[in-house]
Formats: sequence, structure tokens, C-alpha cells
Amino acid sequence: MRIIKSFFASGLILLLAAAAVSAQGELKIPVREFKLNNGLTFLVVERSTAPVFSGYITVGAGSANEKIGDIGTAHLFEHMMFKGSRLVGTSDYEAETKIMASEDSIWARIDNARQELRYMRINEPDRVEAQQKYIGDLQIILDSLAAASSEYVIQNEFDGLYTRNGAAEFNATTGYDFTHYFVSLPSNRLELWFAMEADRLIHPVLREFFPERDVVSEERRLSVENNADSKLFEQLIGTAFIAHPYQIFWEWQSEENNLSRADLEKFHRTYYTPENITVAIVGDVKLDDVKRLAEKYFGPMPVRPKPEPIYTREPEQQGERRVEQVYEANPAVFIAYHKTPFDHPDEPVFGILRRLLAEGRTSRLYKALVIDQQLCLDISIDVFPGNDLGDVHAGVFNIYAYPNDGVTTVQVEEAIYAELDRLATVPVDSVELKKIKNNIEADFIWASYSNIGLAGYISEAHRLAGSWEFIDNFRNSLNGVTSEDIMRVAKHYFTKENRTVATLVPKEQGGEL
Amino acid sequence: MKKRLMIMVGLTVLAASIFAVNPRDMKFPPLEFKPTDPVRFETDNGMVVYFYEYHELPVVMATAYFRGGDVYDPADKIGLASLTAALMRSGGAGTRTPDQVDFDLDFMAASISSSSGSDYLNVGYSSLKKDVAAGFAMYSDIITKPRFDSSKMALEVSNRKEQIRRQNDNPGNVTRRVFYQQVYRGHPYGYFPSLKTIDNITGNDIGSHYARFYAPDNCIMAIAGDLTLKEVKALLKTNFSGWKKTGGKIEPVAKAAPQFKPGVYYAERDINQAQLRLGHLCLDTHHPDRFAMEVLNFALGGGGFTSRIMLEVRTNAGLAYNVGTYLYNRPLTGNLFAYCQTRADAMGQALTKITDIIKEIKQNGITEDEMIMAKESIINSFVFNYDRPDEIANARALLELQGFPPDQLERDMAAYQAVTLEDCRRVATQYLDPEHMVIVITGNEALFDQPMSNFGPVTKVSMDIE
Repeated sequence: MRIIKSFFASGLILLLAAAAVSAQGELKIPVREFKLNNGLTFLVVERSTAPVFSGYITVGAGSANEKIGDIGTAHLFEHMMFKGSRLVGTSDYEAETKIMASEDSIWARIDNARQELRYMRINEPDRVEAQQKYIGDLQIILDSLAAASSEYVIQNEFDGLYTRNGAAEFNATTGYDFTHYFVSLPSNRLELWFAMEADRLIHPVLREFFPERDVVSEERRLSVENNADSKLFEQLIGTAFIAHPYQIFWEWQSEENNLSRADLEKFHRTYYTPENITVAIVGDVKLDDVKRLAEKYFGPMPVRPKPEPIYTREPEQQGERRVEQVYEANPAVFIAYHKTPFDHPDEPVFGILRRLLAEGRTSRLYKALVIDQQLCLDISIDVFPGNDLGDVHAGVFNIYAYPNDGVTTVQVEEAIYAELDRLATVPVDSVELKKIKNNIEADFIWASYSNIGLAGYISEAHRLAGSWEFIDNFRNSLNGVTSEDIMRVAKHYFTKENRTVATLVPKEQGGEL
Repeated sequence: MKKRLMIMVGLTVLAASIFAVNPRDMKFPPLEFKPTDPVRFETDNGMVVYFYEYHELPVVMATAYFRGGDVYDPADKIGLASLTAALMRSGGAGTRTPDQVDFDLDFMAASISSSSGSDYLNVGYSSLKKDVAAGFAMYSDIITKPRFDSSKMALEVSNRKEQIRRQNDNPGNVTRRVFYQQVYRGHPYGYFPSLKTIDNITGNDIGSHYARFYAPDNCIMAIAGDLTLKEVKALLKTNFSGWKKTGGKIEPVAKAAPQFKPGVYYAERDINQAQLRLGHLCLDTHHPDRFAMEVLNFALGGGGFTSRIMLEVRTNAGLAYNVGTYLYNRPLTGNLFAYCQTRADAMGQALTKITDIIKEIKQNGITEDEMIMAKESIINSFVFNYDRPDEIANARALLELQGFPPDQLERDMAAYQAVTLEDCRRVATQYLDPEHMVIVITGNEALFDQPMSNFGPVTKVSMDIE
């Protein structure tokens, strides 16, 4: 279950891409790296399989960097990046800016007036009607300002320029610790990519802000509120975490609806700094051209202070947590165990455990619960938030199961725990371990099959660990995991005290809707 | 120190904006490239093979396509093609038990997947190059000697029935299913498996379905990867030369005749959105008007943000995240539909906007700018048909399977180039039919802003699991 916040609905899901290295390590990903004076890192892989390239921008900030009250900022900002820049999307940037400033001040008054209204209802009920009219009038002014700015807005020009130049795979995604912007283009459009991306990264213009905020609300309705898996997942991680920002699955409508352009601009100023961004370009390009264009277009990107890290650490869980979600769907049970961050020595063991338990038909949970005992329709595992190389902060190891008709979620849970207990007591034999390591090697090779997958993978490694070569380190650590490590980690982490269980309880069948 | 830095930053930003070239003024020549064609050859037992040589990574990919598919399922045994395909992979093969097949594939990190589409069957393969000898032996066993183990049949049947029990859990799936059931009423494209049709399928049905469709003279195989032509021929000789021709020809199924009743089909679900899908039958895969129609559809709602429906419903009104149209040309009569998910109390508003745009384009066609945008996008992104080796090989195999000449992709480009504004106007008038659409609305009518009857006679669809 991997649902991602994207700009386009049909977003590519690339997080599981792995890298290209040969079985014995003779092949290494031929990455060339350089850094501009302002601190912006470029990773380049030249290859000429086809006359195309993918450009991939990884920003080291996402929804985990949001503050309570402003939840949704990272994602809404990602959407606004498609509205263009000072050059693209406008016929008169100066005139447009003045109108946007007026819009912002009207919005601030609406926001304020709504707060007052709440207290007026208690303390000055006779003023309520006038206040409501005042808010209505402000809303009319806001709409008329939007109409006035439309004189200067060239709608969807950013998308249109890419589209007519033959772009493919154009989208962006927001995660907890990152935001990605990516596109693939014919190779003779390299300079177009630089001009478009540098301008929006340095000078984003948050035009047509208010309708886009509504679009993002609709995205939540579609992806979360009307999706049984997401509803259950939201409860699972909301219960598993009590302190860390990983606890919030998606923005809350109440906060989203009150975000302002100023909130987004502050986020951009704070986190979209050269040191905090990695650019990867993979495909039919020449390193020298990339260097020259990078200097020309991204050289002017201003240096800004390094953003503050997230200091919050999730306190140790000391007892099982259980939660239910009632929904119009069939039963499901999701289980989360707290695990480690990317730089913890136990982290690679979770990479092995995921494959051992739920990758392929011979994996332990799939074989036991789906094939042999026939308790489940399907069972799968995710490491959350979900980077295959690990995440900046300690995430969770999640198991998702869908019971067959007539099987209770309790039976499914018991069968899962029996398998986890076996891991903690019986060593994994060498054949099974070899099977997993063979798969790890194959994953690393397949990962560089597509330009966009490889670009995402190397830039993510750099974002996570400060070096794309972390891919090699991580691969070596995975290969070094022993059956003793597996037993130790299973015993330590797969405990009742460390788990959260979320159950989907069907709304009564045949009842009134 | 800090202040000085700020001033310098201000200057650079100013300088950059004064001297920057606007991306909209950048002009690029069309990309010149000559795609390498895959090699085509035939085996003695009648397989057609396309091979694309690729040595960048030590991997091998293959897809075996067969004429056949879900449309050949008897009406009382819907799910037969799909169940047979699944059992080829899971039911054991050759001398291997089901568990051995699973173990051998997982151990070498190879993948074989077998599935049924509506209009063809396919069995896919991928592995590292070092495992290709063992991998192809298994691939051949699965295609030519499946065992259809009875315990696995029981498991697959039970899983399919569980999937059917869960078929209303996701409102998007409900909307899609109801739309196809209504728009393809009385035609195989509109059939979906039920608990009953799955129960009707016997082991004998599986055996005879397999024997009818999975034959070398009904197979086109696409191979791409780190092999030479010589190696490919040797692999096929070792593993597939014992596979016998059947000589049976698979005739196409009858084309869909319009039997649907226009109107609103209401699927009641307790959700806070209205999920909409509306449309009608349109063109088949070979129809000569498909190029003009593709360009028209791009401007209508298929071209993402540059299309009218997206601009109006998403960008301007903020009513939807996922909205647009899709022109789905299928071998036996395709369809055209618009889709949208909006908050329940904007159902009527969004539906009205969408139908108004369809009416407007039917009346007046599209603008020259819209046509140019669509044509440039289609032509400039042509290269992405050739950017991955398996795609190149698969595309050519599929063209042959569908009866197109080998250079059809190039012909397509010429045909798109030739589309005129007048063509767009003509196909708009001829094929858009906003007055006679199937309109599926999934949601809770108590929350809607307008009665659904404003959009046509309303039929409430049964949500019972049968």
C-alpha cells in the first residue's frame, strides 16, 4: 500500500527503484558529480540508449517539516510550483504581484473575521449577522481580485511548454522528508529543462492560489477519505506515533483550508536552499553541457542558511496500541512495529526481513497465510515512510493483511505472530538467506533500467545520506546480514509492547446508508 | 556580515531576471533519430519472434502474446481466461510441483507472470542474464506444460471469489465497473466475473481453454536484453522446439453493437464525493478517424492541463484533482469517457461543466492553438515509444498481433501531422454525442447539490454481490 501525494493523479511511483550494480560489483553506476558554489549538487549519468533524458530534483524537505497549524504546506507548495515563475505563466509579473498582495490582505481579514465570529456568537449575538455579511463581502472582493489577476495569468503555461516539447513522466511528489520534481524530455530540450526548473525553483510565483487549495482538498477526499486502505492507514500511524511528525498521513482539511501564500513562501525560503537540493540528470546528455547550463541557470540561486533539522524523537512504545476504523468496506488488519532510522546498524536487517516475510510467493507470511492456511486474500509489508534505503528518522515496519470471508482478523493476527515468533527462535537457513540476497542483487541491477528510476534513486541516496555512494554501502550492509542478526532483531522489535494494530470494521451490511 | 549577504543576494536575483531567456521563446528543432528495429524471425513450429538486442545491463525480458483473452469467455463462465492464465503460473509445470516453480523462480530472482487481457493473453518473463538458461527452461514449461494442480485451482477460485466479495470496497472500481457494464451492455467488454460464473468453471474448461489458445502458431514472442541473436535462437530451439502446432485459427469476436441505454446509473456508496464517469461507444483500434479524434480528445480532456475540461473543472473551479477524458480505442469498438471525482455537493456543478464543454466542442470544434498543442505534444513525445528495450520489442509484437504493418508507429506520426482543423471539426460533430451518454454517479444522493434526474432518467444499480 503506497499512496503518494502527487501533482498529477496518475503519478509515477518510483520510491522503490534501486540502483545499478552488477552481481559481483564489476559494474558501478557511472555517476559524475559536481557542486556549484552556492552548494547545489548535480549527479549526472551519461547514457545513450535513446535520445532522451530525465531531470530529477530532490528537495530535502517534506511534510515532516511542517508545524502544527500549517499541516499541508509542503504538499500545497509542491502543487503551486506548477503555476509557473516570474517568466512563465504571466504576461506582466509586476501587475500580477500587486493584485496578489491585495488578495493576501483580504484573505487575512477573512481569516480574522471568522475567528471573531466564533466569539461574537457567545458575547455579541446581535452583531453576528453583520459580521457574516462582512465576510461575504470580503469573499466577493477576493473573487473579483482573482478575476482581475486572470488578465495577466497565462494559465497552465508551465505545463503547456513541457507538453508541446514532448515531455513524458512529468510530475512531482511530496513525502515526509523530501519533495521530488521530475520530467523526461527529448535530449535536445536540455536547456529548456534548465530554464524552466531553475526559474520556478528560484522564483516560484504562487498565482491562482485559492482554487489550487481547493484542488488539494479534493485530492485528500479522493486519496484518503474515500479509500478504505488510506482511512485505516491514517489510524495506524496516527496511533503508532505520539510525538514524531511521521504520525500525520495526509494534511488535515481544517489546516489546509487556512493556509496562506505567506505560509508557503516561508516554507520555500526556509527549505528550498541550494545545500538542501540534489539534482540528478540521467540520459543522453554530455557532462560538459550539464555543467555549463547548471552554472548559467542555477548559479544565481541564492545561498541561504541551512534549515534546522527535526529534533523530535519518538519515545519508546511500552505497550500494545489498538485502534478501529469503521468503514463501508470488508475487513483488513494493519500492524506496525517501530523500527530504526537509516543510519542505525539494525536498519539493513529490516530490509532483509521485509523480503523474507512478504516478497514473492515463497516468502514466509505469504506462503503461510495465503497459500497454506488460506486465511488471507493477500498480505504485504511496507517499511514506512518507505524509502528502500531507510528514512531520516525512525519509521515503522508495517504488515497489511486482508482476511478471507469467514476468517476473523484475530485469527489472521495470531498466524502472523506465530511466524514472527518463529523468526525469533529458529535461525533462517542458508538457502533462504541466499534467496533473499540473490533478490537484493537483482533489484540493484533492475533499478537503473529506466532513466527516471535511476535519477530518483541516486538523488534520494544523496538527499538521505549526503552521498549517492551510500547505495553501495547499503548494499554491502544488506549482504552482511546474518541469520543471527535476523533472530536478534526479530526478538527485539517484534514484541507485543512495540506494536500497533489497526482493524477495519465493516459498516453493517444492508443497513441504511 | 549577514546584511551584506542579503544585499548581494538581492542583486543576483535582479540580474538573473533581467537577462534570463524566457523558456517560452526557446525554439528547438524536431528531434532527429532513427529508431533501431527489433529483428523478426519465425521458428519451425510457427512462433513469430521479435528480438531487440541490448547490452547495457545484464538482464533479459520477454513477453509471449497469444490471440485470445477475456472476450472469448463463455457468458456463463466469465473469468475462464484469467483463471487459466493464473493457474499456468501457480499450478506447477513440467516435472516441477507448484512449490518448486515458486521456489526456483524466487531463488534466482526471476519473474514469470501470466495474465489475460480483454483482447489478448500474455506470459511475461524477466531475469538476470546469468540465469537465462534455467529461466527459459521454466518459461517453456509454464507455457507448454502447465500442470493445473487441483489444490491450486481451489485456491485460485477461492481468491477470485474473495476479490468479488470485495469489489465494492473502492468507489473508483465501482464507477469503472458500472460504466463498462452499461456502455457495453450485451457485449463481452461489459462482462465481469461473478461468484456464479467462477463456480461454473471446471478443470476440463481450463484444460480445453489452454489447448485452444496456447499454441506456437498462435504466439508472438517479444524478447529484449543482453543476448545475441544466435543465443536467442539457441534458447528457443532448446526450450520451445518440441511444442506442437495446433493449426487452429483464433477468429475475432463480433464487434460491439450499441445496445446501451443513455441515462444516469446511480451506484449508492456512503462516501463524501461524487465519482463520475460518462461517455459512449467510439472508435475501434483500426478506425482511420482515430488520429483526428485523438487530437480532438487531447484538447477536450485528454491532454492534461492544456485541455479544456481540466482547465475549467480543476484549474479555474478547483472542483477536482483528477478530471479529464480518455479515448479508449479497442479492437472491438472503443469508447470515449470523461471522469471526475468531486465533493458530493458539487456533483451537479461539475457534471454540468463537463457536459457543457463536450457540447461546445461538438458544436464548434477546437481552436487552431489547441490543435497545434496536441499535435506538437504527440509528435515530440514520439521518441518515448523507443526509450526502453522491452517497450520497443513489445510494441512491434502487439502491432503484428493486431494486424498492423511493421512501420505503423511511423505511419501514425505522419497521420497525426496531417490532421487539420477541419478534420477535428468533422469528428467532433460525428462522434461526440453528449445527448446520449451513459452517466455513472457513485456516491450518496442525499449530499448532492442537484437531483440526478436533471441529467437523464435515473437507474439505481444493484450493489449486491452475486
